Amino acid sequence: MTAKALILAGYGLNCEEETLHAFEYAGLQGTIRHINDLIENPQELEKVEILAVPGGFSYGDDTGSGNAFAQKMKLSLWEPLLRFIARDTLTIGICNGCQILANLALIPGFDSRYGERLVAVTHNLTARYQCRWVDVGVTSNSPWLAGIERMHIPVAHGEGRFMMAEETLKSLKENGQVAMRYIKADGRPANGEFPFNPNGSTQDIAALTDQGGRVLALMPHPERGMFNWQRDDYQELKDKAQRARTSLPETADGMALFQNAARYFGTALKKRA
Amino acid sequence: MPYRIEVLAHSDDGRAKTLEQSLKAKGHDARVRVVDVYVSENERISSETFIGAVANPVTQQVNAPLKDFNWALEIGFLPGVTDNIAHTAQELLDLAGATNDNECFSARLYLIKGDLKKSDIEDLAASLANPLIQRIQIKDEETFQKDGGMGIVLPKVALSNHGAVADPVDLNLDDAALAQLGKEGIPDSDGTRRGPLGLSLLYLKAIQDYFRSEGRAPTDIEIETLAQTWSEHCKHTIFASPIDDIQEGIYRHYIKRATQEIRKNRKESDFCVSVFSDNAGGIVFDENWLITDKVETHNSPSALDPFGGAITGIVGVNRDCMGFGKGAKPVINRYGFCFADPRTEQTYFRDKDRKIPVLSAETIMNGVVHGVHVGGNCSGIPTPQGFAYFDPRFIGKPLVFVGTIGLIPRTINGTPGHEKRALPGDIIVMAGGRVGRDGIHGATFSSVALDEGSPATAVQIGDPITQKKMSDALVKEVRDFGWYNAITDNGAGGLSSSVGEMAGQSGGFHLELDKVPLKYPGMAPWEIWISESQERMTLAVPPENVEKLIEFLARRGVEATAIGTYTGTGRAVVSWRGETIMDLDMEFLHDGVPETPLKTTFTAGGEAEPSLPALSTDALLSMLSRLNICSKEFIATQYDHNVQGSAVLGPLQGPGRVYADATITKPVLNSPKGVVLSQGLFPRYSDIDTKHMAACGLDMAVRSAVAAGADFNHLALLDNFCWCSSDEPERLGQLKRAAEVIYDLAVLYGTPFISGKDSMFNDFKGFDAGGQPVKISAPPTLLVSSIGVIPDVEQSISLAPKAVGDLVYLLGETKDELGGGEYYDELGHLGRNVPQVDGAVNYQLYKIYSRAARERLMASAIAVGYGGLGVALAKTAIAGRMGLDIDLSAFDLEAQRLLFSESAGRILVTVAPQNVKDFEKTFKKFAHVYKIGHVAYGNGLNIKDLLTAEISMLEKAYKAPLRDY
Repeated sequence: MTAKALILAGYGLNCEEETLHAFEYAGLQGTIRHINDLIENPQELEKVEILAVPGGFSYGDDTGSGNAFAQKMKLSLWEPLLRFIARDTLTIGICNGCQILANLALIPGFDSRYGERLVAVTHNLTARYQCRWVDVGVTSNSPWLAGIERMHIPVAHGEGRFMMAEETLKSLKENGQVAMRYIKADGRPANGEFPFNPNGSTQDIAALTDQGGRVLALMPHPERGMFNWQRDDYQELKDKAQRARTSLPETADGMALFQNAARYFGTALKKRA
Repeated sequence: MPYRIEVLAHSDDGRAKTLEQSLKAKGHDARVRVVDVYVSENERISSETFIGAVANPVTQQVNAPLKDFNWALEIGFLPGVTDNIAHTAQELLDLAGATNDNECFSARLYLIKGDLKKSDIEDLAASLANPLIQRIQIKDEETFQKDGGMGIVLPKVALSNHGAVADPVDLNLDDAALAQLGKEGIPDSDGTRRGPLGLSLLYLKAIQDYFRSEGRAPTDIEIETLAQTWSEHCKHTIFASPIDDIQEGIYRHYIKRATQEIRKNRKESDFCVSVFSDNAGGIVFDENWLITDKVETHNSPSALDPFGGAITGIVGVNRDCMGFGKGAKPVINRYGFCFADPRTEQTYFRDKDRKIPVLSAETIMNGVVHGVHVGGNCSGIPTPQGFAYFDPRFIGKPLVFVGTIGLIPRTINGTPGHEKRALPGDIIVMAGGRVGRDGIHGATFSSVALDEGSPATAVQIGDPITQKKMSDALVKEVRDFGWYNAITDNGAGGLSSSVGEMAGQSGGFHLELDKVPLKYPGMAPWEIWISESQERMTLAVPPENVEKLIEFLARRGVEATAIGTYTGTGRAVVSWRGETIMDLDMEFLHDGVPETPLKTTFTAGGEAEPSLPALSTDALLSMLSRLNICSKEFIATQYDHNVQGSAVLGPLQGPGRVYADATITKPVLNSPKGVVLSQGLFPRYSDIDTKHMAACGLDMAVRSAVAAGADFNHLALLDNFCWCSSDEPERLGQLKRAAEVIYDLAVLYGTPFISGKDSMFNDFKGFDAGGQPVKISAPPTLLVSSIGVIPDVEQSISLAPKAVGDLVYLLGETKDELGGGEYYDELGHLGRNVPQVDGAVNYQLYKIYSRAARERLMASAIAVGYGGLGVALAKTAIAGRMGLDIDLSAFDLEAQRLLFSESAGRILVTVAPQNVKDFEKTFKKFAHVYKIGHVAYGNGLNIKDLLTAEISMLEKAYKAPLRDY
C-alpha cells in the first residue's frame, strides 16, 4: 500500500500544487484538501500518513505570518491533529507552513507538550522580503532528513527569523531539534551574515523539528529545489554536463525530503520515464 | 464601547531596525518600537482567541504599558480605504465567536526615542504615510501619558445619501453647459459636481439625441453608464477612430491586421487561439494547454497612491487572466516601471497655492515596487520578468505596466477552454469582494490628464487574499465543474462594464442593483453600478446551478450573490428596489459612440550629432552606473520568482547575478516546454522619431526572447502604447508612425500581436515652485512584450559565460547609431542618428539563431541593448565573473561609437570550442558574424587598445546605484 499525503490549501496558502507534485514524484499518493473541507471531515486525518502545510501567504501575513491560520486550525482541528501526530505519521510545514506550525506550537513540542508556544518566526532583520538561494547544513535524526548533510535550496519569505528564549534554545539544541542551519558555500556557519543567513535567524536556524523528529518546520522550500532545472545554477550545471557529454540527473537536493518520506513508509521509489 | 488592542513587538524587530537605519541616514540617532493596533466596538476583540491570533507571546506583548519614548506616531486608514489587516482581523473576530458584525480597523503605532523635533517626526510620517488614504497622529510622550494613550479612532464610513434614488439629468442644455457636464460631472442638488464624466461635447450631443428620440430625460445612472462604456479607457476611441485617410483606425488597420495576415501566412502553423476578443490573448503552449497573456497599465492611480495604484494594477491584471475563456490560472506576473530618478528633488505641486506637493520620485518608486511585491507575492504568482526605466519626464506621472500569464486546458468538459457565452436566462452572479465607493470614476479618470481636480476616490487598494480565495475556488475548482457559461472580471467601470460586455453575447440584461452586497450602507445606485471595488468576477450561471455555486463558494470563504438575469431583449435594464432606473438600447450603449475623425502632423526631432570625448575606462564605468543600465536586483529579490516551482531562468543570472531582460518558466512541471518572456522599450528615441522608438522596442522584445532560446517560430507580442497629449495632431502623427512600423515589423517577423492596451494621456499638469502652471508630458512610449515557447528548457541560454576558452562572437551589424541613446544622454546630448531596425537582416539572424539554440551551440547570449556593445561585454563579464579578451580592431568605427552605439538586431554570444565548427557552419549564410575574442583567465575585461577594467570595478559600478533601495 502506498502512503498518503494530505496537503492543505486555502486562505492564501499557495504552494499546494508543486508540493503535491513532489510527493507524487517520490512515489506517494497525495490529495490537496481545503482547510474548510478538512474541518468538516477531520476524520480524513485518520486515513493519511503525511500532513503537509505548504508555503503561501495565509491571511496575507496580516497579524503575523501564519498566526491567523494557526488559530483557525487550533480552534477547529486541534484534537484530530494531536491524534494524528500521536500516530506514526509525518508532518511537514514549509515556509508559511513552518510559521503556522510554530504558532500552532507543533514545534517544539517538548515532552509532547504540543500547543505550548515557545518559538516565533518573525520579520527578517532586513525588514525586506527575500527570494534567493541559500545553503543549509543539516544535523537531525528526523526521518524527513535521513542521510542529508547539506542542501542548496531557495528561500522566499519576509518573516523567517526564528526567535525564542535562551532556555528554549538550549533545550532545542540538547534535544537535537535544530534541524537546519544556514551556512556559507564552503560549509562554514553563516554566522548571521546576510545574505547567507537571509533573515537574521537566531544561530542561523532554518528549520526545527518536534522532539521526536516526525514534525518538521522549515523555512526553505524543498519543492522549489527538487529538480535541477529549478536551481539558480542550472545553466552552469547543464553546460558542464553538455561539455562532459553526460546528462544531468533530473532531481536535486529538495527531492530527498519527499523520497525520505516515501522510504519511511516503505514505498518503493517510483521511477519516472 | 470601543476596544483597542495594542501588540508591542520585541525591541529587535526588523521593521523597527530598518526605520532606525533610515532615521540614522537623516542624521538622527533614535530607537523605535513598533506597535500593531486593532480597534473595534466588538467585545470579542479582547477575547483570548483573538489576542492569540494577533500576537505571539514569545516576541510580542499585548496591551503592555507603553513608556520610554519621546514621540508616538500613529498611522491608520481614512474611512472607506481598504484595510487588509483589519479584514483579516474581522475574520478572526468571527473565529473568536463574534455575534455581531461590528467592524474592525487596524493602525500602526511607532514609539520613537531620541532627540527629535516634532518636524522630524512629521517628516518621518510623510515618508511612511500617504495623506490621501491615511491619517497621521503625533503625540509627545507627556501628552500621550496624560491622555492615557493615543485614543481610539474608528474610521467608519458615514454617507449622507442614505436611500438615495436615481436622479433625472437635464440634458436640455446649451453647448457650454453640456461641455461643463462632461468635464465636471452631474450637478447635485447643492450645486456641487460628482466628478468628471470624460464625455466630449460630440458624445453628449449623441446622448442628447438618443434621449430626445426616447422622449424622456436620462437618469444619472444612464449617463454614468454611457460615460464608462464610451470612455477612452474602455472603448479605445483614439485607436478606433478614423485617422487621416485610414477609415478603420489605427487598431484595425495596423495592429489587428498584422495579426490577421500573420495567421493567414502561417496556415497550419498558426498558434493563435483567442486574440483581441477576450480579457487576454491566448496562444498554444502544447497539445494540452494554452497560455494567455495580458499587460495592463495603471499610471494615474500610481501617481496619487503608488502602493495602492500598483497593487490594484497587478491583482487587476490577474483577474484579466482569470477572465480569459472559462478562466485561466495565473502562472506568471511581469512588470515594467518608468520612473524619474529617485534621487531627484520633487519641486512640483498639484495646486496653484502649492499646498499639495507631488509625491517625490523616491516615494513613487518605492511605493510602486512594493505594491507589485505585495500583490504578486501574496497571490502566489511568480514575478520573474520586468524592468525599470528612468527619465526625468516621469516625475509627475510614472508608467506602471503589469502583466499576467495564464494557463488553461485547451479542452474543458469537452468544449474549448477559451470559449464562453452568456445565454439569455443565465443568472448574473457577482463573486468576491463587496462594493464600496472605491475607484468611482476610475475609467473616466484615466482618460483625462492628471490635474488639480483629480479625484481621491479614484484611489483604491487591492486585497490579494480576498482575490486569492476567489481565484483558487473559481479557477482550480468551480471551472471544471462546468457550472457557469461565462466569466469576466470587474475592472474599470465595475459592473457597468462587466455585465454590459457579457450581455453583448446574450443580447441584454436586467440587473437588480439593490441585491449587490455593499461594504457600507448609503451608496447611491449609480455609485454601486460603476464602483471599481476590486476582487470581483461576474459570472453567467444557468439557473439550476446558482444555488450550488453560491453554496460551494461560501465553503471557500468567498461571497457570491445573484444580482440579475441575462436576457435577449436587446435592452440594458437596471432596477433599484423594484423600480426601473435604467433602460437603454444595447446597440446604442455599445455602438452608439460617434466617430471622431482624427488628423495628424509629424515633424522628426533630433539635434546635431555631437563630437565625442576620448574613450576611457571611466566612461564605461559611468555608463554601467546609469539608472537604465545598472542592476535592479533590489526589485528582483523582493519579488518571489520561484513560487509554483516553475522558475527555470530567473531574473538574476550567473554567479555575478546580472539583472536579465528575458526569463524562462515551466508552468507545467512535467512538460519539458517553457514560457519565455521579455520586453522592449526605448522612450527617449521618440525625441528623434517615434518610428524608431517603436521598431527598436519590438525588435528588442523579440531578440532577447530568441537569444534566451525561445523558438522564433512560436513567439507572440503584446503592445502597450503610453502616449501623451493625444488630442494634439503632432502626437497623433507620432502615434501613427509608431503603429505603421510595428505592423511592418511584426508581419516580417511573423510574430502576431495577441493583446494590447493603451493609455493616451500621460501628462502631468501642475505648478512649479513659483506657482506657474507646468505641463510635463511623458515621452511617447510603446512597450512591446514578448511571450514565446521554448520546446525544451534544456535549450535555454543565460547571459553568463560558462567556461574559460570559449569564443566570443558578435552577431549583427554595429552602425553609427547613438542618437537618443544612453551614451549621448550621459554627455547631455540627443543627437540625430537613432538606431534603425533592418527587419529583413534580423529575420534571417533570428531564424538561424533559433536553429542553433535547438542544437545548444551557444553557451551564453545577451541581446545588445541600452549602452550598446560595451555594456553588453561588461554585463557578460560580471555575470560569469570571468575575464574577457576582446579585439575590436577589425571594425571601422570610432571606438566610443563602436562601444556605445545602440544598433538593433545584435546578440553577443559565447561558444564552447567543441561547438565552434557547428556554430560557424550554422551561421555561414549570415553576413554579420564577428569573432571578437574569448573568455579569458584573469579578472578583467580587456578590449585591445581601448580599455581595461577589473570585473570587481565593473560590478561595483553596475550594482551600487540602486543597491540601497
